Amino acid sequence: MEPELTGTNLVRVTFRPDGKAVEVERGETLLSAAQAAGIPLVSICGGEGICGRCRVIVRGGKVEAAPTLHLSREEIKKGYVLACQARVLSDVEVEVPPESREGAAAAVDRDARGFLAPEAEARDTFAREPLVRKLYLELPPPTLEDNTGDQERLFREVRRRAEAPILQAGLKVLRGLPPLLRGAGWRVTVTLAQRGGTVELLQAEPGDRAREAYGVAVDVGTSTVVTHLMDLRTGKTLGAEARYNSQRAFGEEVTRRIIAAEREGLEKLQGAVVEDINGLIALLIEQAEVKLQDVLAVMCAGNTAMTHFLLGLPPGTLRKSPYVAAALAPPPVRAAEVGIRINPRGLLYVVPGIGGWVGGDVTAGLLATGLFRATEPFLFIDIGTNGEVVLGDGDWMVAASASAGPAFEGAGVTCGMRAARGAIHRVEFASGGVRYWTVGDEPPRGLCGSGIIDTVAGLFRAGYIDRSGRLDPDRPGVVEWHGELAFRLVPEGEGAREVVVTQRDIENVLRAKAAIYAAVSILLREMGLEPERIKQIYIAGAFGSHIDPENAVALGLVPDLPGAEITFVGNTSLAGAKLCLLSKDAFAEAERLARRVTYYDLINCPYYYEEFMAAKFLPHTDLSRFPTVVKTLRLGEPV
Amino acid sequence: MGVEVPDVKESFPQAIYTVTIGATPEDGGTRAKVVTVGGETALPFHTFEGEIPHPPVVAMEVWDVPGEDWPDVVREPFSEVMGDPGAWAVKCVEYGADLICLRLVGCDPNGADKSPEDAVQAVKRVLETVGVPLIIWGCGNPEKDNEVFPLVAEAVKGENCLLGTITQDNYKTLVAVATAYGHKLIAESPVDINIAKQVNILAMDAGFPLEKLVIYPSTGALGYGIEYVYSIMERTRLAGLGGDKLMAMPILCDIGKEVWGVKEARAPREEQPEWGDERLRGPLWEATTAYVYLMAGADILVMRHPEAVRATKAFIEKILGRQG
Repeated sequence: MEPELTGTNLVRVTFRPDGKAVEVERGETLLSAAQAAGIPLVSICGGEGICGRCRVIVRGGKVEAAPTLHLSREEIKKGYVLACQARVLSDVEVEVPPESREGAAAAVDRDARGFLAPEAEARDTFAREPLVRKLYLELPPPTLEDNTGDQERLFREVRRRAEAPILQAGLKVLRGLPPLLRGAGWRVTVTLAQRGGTVELLQAEPGDRAREAYGVAVDVGTSTVVTHLMDLRTGKTLGAEARYNSQRAFGEEVTRRIIAAEREGLEKLQGAVVEDINGLIALLIEQAEVKLQDVLAVMCAGNTAMTHFLLGLPPGTLRKSPYVAAALAPPPVRAAEVGIRINPRGLLYVVPGIGGWVGGDVTAGLLATGLFRATEPFLFIDIGTNGEVVLGDGDWMVAASASAGPAFEGAGVTCGMRAARGAIHRVEFASGGVRYWTVGDEPPRGLCGSGIIDTVAGLFRAGYIDRSGRLDPDRPGVVEWHGELAFRLVPEGEGAREVVVTQRDIENVLRAKAAIYAAVSILLREMGLEPERIKQIYIAGAFGSHIDPENAVALGLVPDLPGAEITFVGNTSLAGAKLCLLSKDAFAEAERLARRVTYYDLINCPYYYEEFMAAKFLPHTDLSRFPTVVKTLRLGEPV
Repeated sequence: MGVEVPDVKESFPQAIYTVTIGATPEDGGTRAKVVTVGGETALPFHTFEGEIPHPPVVAMEVWDVPGEDWPDVVREPFSEVMGDPGAWAVKCVEYGADLICLRLVGCDPNGADKSPEDAVQAVKRVLETVGVPLIIWGCGNPEKDNEVFPLVAEAVKGENCLLGTITQDNYKTLVAVATAYGHKLIAESPVDINIAKQVNILAMDAGFPLEKLVIYPSTGALGYGIEYVYSIMERTRLAGLGGDKLMAMPILCDIGKEVWGVKEARAPREEQPEWGDERLRGPLWEATTAYVYLMAGADILVMRHPEAVRATKAFIEKILGRQG
């Protein structure tokens, strides 16, 4: 190690095993040093010392650590500290253990197949006319008889081929036009972009380049960012990439991030997600051998806070009564203006949102599933860090949002991960023991959302946990793990990483499912809709895999309605974004749809907490709401 | 013709479970009498709407250690007996206690940290000296309670005691020993109607009969959130009478412990001259708190001051029309 610097307040923090080093002010926390060094540390509470997840080991040097209950005496002896509670006093060397590290070193996930969104149901409903497209034109050269201006000549030809009553081109395009047209022999390809009622001529290129038109659909999730590269001409998906949202370093939950934006600057949060998107786009185009300049548009769907961060809109009003957004349906903007690297004149579109806490991801979901034209009562549940619920009866739709936490996205759970390779996505408890399946049939590395749901539901159905979720220490596989009980799904060894579900994980899952179920139950009650009338339940979410409806019901995540068909529809936020990118009619429908859905803020509901508490039980405190589960598990409520 | 007054009486489909505490020699115990609560088919004291077969009862508190933090007003009636749970219990019966609530405060590892064997001795002492049934209340430390209750429950086998408390976080040991040795249980919840139900379900799932449970929904002293507890109790009772078998248990209120912890009951006159004599004020605070909970549906009141007990018992008699 280098000798301690004297006379300056800067100290060096080296992170192992990465070997990355960074200089910070003496007295800074290890967490902010890690952020500065680009080390992806888990921090659920956003650095408040509450979650106890940012554990690191100090290997050398001096830090001052505030006392914490999250570490045992033994761990403290070994040098463990909470990064957010440890202030750097000298040059230090710090080891980041795997469990404190964001999944797969937050590297881009090369196997995003798990995130392939289903082909949108409503695909055939809309004419495929992308919001941004290229048009190859052969213009008649000017003559003395036909001596109109270059711009007017170009527009005249465009209007012959496309509907564009209001057509505009930027000054930069106009300045380049005369040499371009003449140099190209009046054969050019123009890029046209829909901006509300106006069509903008984004660029003109020499020759026929109409085949080279691409766009990127992005699901900007609180926990996960998923991107698909689209061929705008053919509508084909050329590639998919996903990664955890780097904003997680600022806190797992949306509210924490809004506070972080207020304290540390919105540009930090904006920069984090923009760089995620840029990284993913760079990978997509490299693999598909597409030129950056031919990526013409990005369509993002996300919750309202995420779109605020992305666009750099001040999000502060979202978290304070009356919870108002800066904009629910922001206009298309130049992607470069927010820092997204595609064609410098390319546009960034955002799927319009419904309310302060129900965003464009839900609009996209209703669009992609075709529910926007439903004629029968339905329930749409999008399970993410914020769980969104939409109840409709064919005439009306009401949406609410419940803060579920990231448990179902594989975060906030000890061995949670995204549905990348090695993620356990399905678990079955049979008489002979527990079986599991991993993504790519690779050695298990952790649990993704569907695996977590299967495990907790399985533990319950097999009697390993009681109805409040408490593990029975006498069951096989239930072990003492870092001072709490845990169920060991995969033992360490044979090249496999130990995978456990701890008591605290189970509690997180129960809280998450209770928040979502409470939202469902409140909407049903407020709207006076008899649950039996619901014929369709759609479950969306970026689990990476199908979830077993029976397990979702046993857990009490989804209402137990024997007459309703439960359909798992995957990442509909992304599917809807793709649809919008490929069809301006679909985007127009999304705009109408977002205005049609009524937003119900659960904060107005006086009995929310009670519904939540009642739902924290397995499957629910009120068993009469779960007749099938009672029957199959023979739960002993006296009749 | 006069106007016919419509009948607005309410009737409920379900009776509250009848819970008997204590066992006489015929039933394998040693108690001189047993106490039965519950069985009502109407809201508290609504004798015109249904049956109130068993009026509310009062249990008086006895500790296995002297009540050091009891204010003088409530210590004095017991000053000579506080070192001996047996003698203390005898005093309580003299003061009119229907049952003894023996609280094993001394077992608390953060206090006297008495052994389970010590606890057994205290329990046996009380059994020897009085003939009324027993409530045995743990020290509240889950680990310690789980050590103490197996021995205590065995020692009082056949006496049909009411043991407590089980909570959402700690119920398995108590359920097991209460089942094995034939006792009843107090199910505790933190002023939350859902958790109240959840604890009952957990006990039921662990094989404990619902009709052997008593609900303890937590208690607040007058002036300390009493209206909230009241509404939770009232809703619990309405649910039970309304047909929810998971909520149809008698309800216990822990009055003395709460009341004698608040300054309105404790503060001596010298400190609060405008509040008047604490000798009157303290018992009055306890009795008034008890009245409120009686109205909310309490079946068992755990109390401390003899005057408060006397007044409360007289109040019950009076309102049931059994006395002047």
